[in-house]
Amino acid sequence: MDDKTIVGMAEDAEFARWAYQETCPEDALKKPEALAHIRVIDASYASFAGLFASSILAEMGAEVIRIEPPGGDLARKMSPYGIMIKDSGLAYISEARNKFHITLDLRQEEGRKLFSQLSAKVDVLIETFKPGHLDGLGLGYKHLSKKNASLIYCAIHSYGQRGEDAEKHANQPAYDIIDQARGVIMSITGEPDLDPEVPREYKRPLKHGSWIGWNTGGAWAAFGILLALFDRTRTGRGQFIDCAPAEGLLAISNYLMQYFHISGEQMPRAGNYDYAIFPYTYVRTKDGYTFISGFADPNWTALCEIMNRPDLRAEFPTIKERLNPHNQPTIQHEIEKFTTQYTSDEILDMVQNYNKRRDKKGTVVTGRLESPLEILGREHWNERRTFVRCNDPYYGELLVPNSTFKAMSRTPGRVKWVCRPIGADNEFIYQKYLGIRDRKLKQIKL
Amino acid sequence: MPKTKSYRGLTKELFDPRQIFEKRESLQGIRVLEVCHVVLGPAACDYLAEFGAEVIKFEGQGGDSMRFVTPYAYFWKNLSLGLEIENHNKYWVGMHLGNPRAKELFLDLVKRSDVVVDNLTAGTMAQWGLSYKELRERNPRIIQLHCCGYGSWGPWTGRPSYDAVAQSMGGLSSITGFEERGPLKSGVWIADWVTALMCAVGIMAALNHRARTGEGQFIDYMQAESVIRMLDWTWLYSFKTGENRKRSGNRDLAICPSDLFPCSDGWVALAAFGDEEFKGLCKAMGQADLCKKYPDPTQRLQEENAREILDRITQWTKTKRVQEVEELADKYGFAASRVLSANDAYHSQHLRERGAIQEYDDPLYGPMVEPCYPPRLSETPARLKWSSRPLGFDNGYVFAKILGLPPEEVKKLEDEKVIFKWNPQIPSHCPPAEWDGVRGVKLPFSSERKHNG
Repeated sequence: MDDKTIVGMAEDAEFARWAYQETCPEDALKKPEALAHIRVIDASYASFAGLFASSILAEMGAEVIRIEPPGGDLARKMSPYGIMIKDSGLAYISEARNKFHITLDLRQEEGRKLFSQLSAKVDVLIETFKPGHLDGLGLGYKHLSKKNASLIYCAIHSYGQRGEDAEKHANQPAYDIIDQARGVIMSITGEPDLDPEVPREYKRPLKHGSWIGWNTGGAWAAFGILLALFDRTRTGRGQFIDCAPAEGLLAISNYLMQYFHISGEQMPRAGNYDYAIFPYTYVRTKDGYTFISGFADPNWTALCEIMNRPDLRAEFPTIKERLNPHNQPTIQHEIEKFTTQYTSDEILDMVQNYNKRRDKKGTVVTGRLESPLEILGREHWNERRTFVRCNDPYYGELLVPNSTFKAMSRTPGRVKWVCRPIGADNEFIYQKYLGIRDRKLKQIKL
Repeated sequence: MPKTKSYRGLTKELFDPRQIFEKRESLQGIRVLEVCHVVLGPAACDYLAEFGAEVIKFEGQGGDSMRFVTPYAYFWKNLSLGLEIENHNKYWVGMHLGNPRAKELFLDLVKRSDVVVDNLTAGTMAQWGLSYKELRERNPRIIQLHCCGYGSWGPWTGRPSYDAVAQSMGGLSSITGFEERGPLKSGVWIADWVTALMCAVGIMAALNHRARTGEGQFIDYMQAESVIRMLDWTWLYSFKTGENRKRSGNRDLAICPSDLFPCSDGWVALAAFGDEEFKGLCKAMGQADLCKKYPDPTQRLQEENAREILDRITQWTKTKRVQEVEELADKYGFAASRVLSANDAYHSQHLRERGAIQEYDDPLYGPMVEPCYPPRLSETPARLKWSSRPLGFDNGYVFAKILGLPPEEVKKLEDEKVIFKWNPQIPSHCPPAEWDGVRGVKLPFSSERKHNG
């Protein structure tokens, strides 16, 4: 890689070169893996929270055994417009990395026995069934931990394993939309309540575009599992992890709880506004949208200078005025009168030129709002190997996001293979762990 | 059913929030040095702090910029809520690491620490003589995580990033919003919080590796890339079709039905993708024909079919109250829930009995009620001990307890402005006006009282 690419816009070129040496993508596969010694069963069903959690562990080198029912996990069918590549949808293919795929029928006595035997040989078990389902089959934490005291058992469900609501809704399956709805964040995401220019029918709760409930929930589960593994290195003891993705969102809902605690009041939906920092928003431009910020007094002055609007600075002189929810639509619409005359790149140029001026009053930040296709074409992401492209022997040409842990200097995360068909690893895994050979395997209904 | 009851009994016993302080902590004995500001870096350390790490946070003389970010510019007891939310259980030191003497003190702390986290512009710590190379010379077991928008090398390294920039540069904004309207930010600083979580995951992997090998390492983590990672099928879809993923409001394009539906008295989130669940929903609606018409889940995902299904559910939910739909979901085995508000969550008995929302008495701010980070761990649960602190509040504790400096030397460092405390002119640096100069101080020295005076 040439020096210019490595150094980019770095403040300290020497540091960039050093960091490149330490985290060079070409070396990643030669380095050890943090969790190479850890075995995981991911028995999740119809849940990308479970799949995301086991993806993180698999990227770090854990041997993850996916257990699916004979017909395959319902998650394989969750795909936009029903698009399938062979037996799998686009979402599943993106989250099956480095995992072994076996089938097993929990409705059969034989299947339950195999499940129990495999669980005795692993460090971690992930499941996403309705609370108590596996317990009812004799395969809950209390059963499995008897044979395997160091087992870390992680159950993931929207309502969690216990509590008033978990009991009341025990018959409900878990979904991303439920996690988002119960995570409180959805109640204040969406078009702004207080902007008169927004038609009334859009003033309602809005989910994030992607499965933020599931993915965040899965990341919390992986965090909990790693905490438990660390504790186990010191105590030798396993534990039970109760992960409710809805709580995973509630816990990161900015200051909603704290503000309610001190004031007894709820905050309105802010849309692209922000009642603690503004301007800090997306604005329309000639060719799309761009982010723009100028919150603190000097930065607001700078933004007004760039727009040549001293009157705006005078009208909203302190953060008190700029954080007033009733002023924010006005400020937004005034800024857009300026930005809609230019393209996002022209605005970036103006801002960068201003920021270089010696007499600048503050710093303004801007950046165009990118579409997925634009992101796929960016040189930076290409050099950093943000995406993995491969020709899979079964699924053909694929592109999925790489491990975001790939720049760990000693134990980089990685994607070794992308996906496996339903039951593709039955022979290998059953032979390896339970010594079940070909002929016997054929007799078991998998 | 006795079986269910025993599961209930077991989980109630294992996860009883009243037992939290009787249990051990996963990260007991792990010391983290936080050279961070704003939300992302401090949040990553906060996750570790609630699970038992001793996090020492360093602030410059101006203070963390979140000391000035609070809703409606309202400072409660001199506290900025923007600062409070990602800073619990920490030890607060006022010390700028760019000062050569501060650097030596910091390196002494590195010798006695496990993790260093920074979210400054890439290369800043190196310019202070505190690059990972130098940290490792003092302590080969040290783990450093550096997080910024675009990483420590590559064409865009050095470009600044904020939460909203990462949401936009990572593609989340472009797919969030209604089809016929513009792109929208999340209602919260989601790209900060979620990236922070992935940072904490990376640190935990490194700690696990170190426990086995004794080896520390350097981790370079990119905020915008972590947003990219959160977008599930977006990338494979664009790669295969050459199309952008469109905004689809609350409708899930990969699960049908999964959407937000209008009821006579509000909104209900509803999903039923599995065969039994969809059958149950159709039965609850009294429309068994819908189920027969589209027996396979992938059929239901095709555009025209999906529109018909969602439309028929809408017509049905309009005639029901939210609670009625929730009860039918319980009965027929599909998923349905109201959208919880801050008020609902604050008063939820469920969240309190799970320890998801905890109440504690802070010596400076009094009774606090806040979320405590998930997941719930049966043996090593997370806990809230205290809230955020005025600038430099724990100088005395950190330098006396960890470095063993005598009081007069700490005083000298203060006099020479190597370390410092809150600026009385800046309210959000300071303790509450009614503070008695003693409460919350971990190792009281006379200088503390003086500063209050």
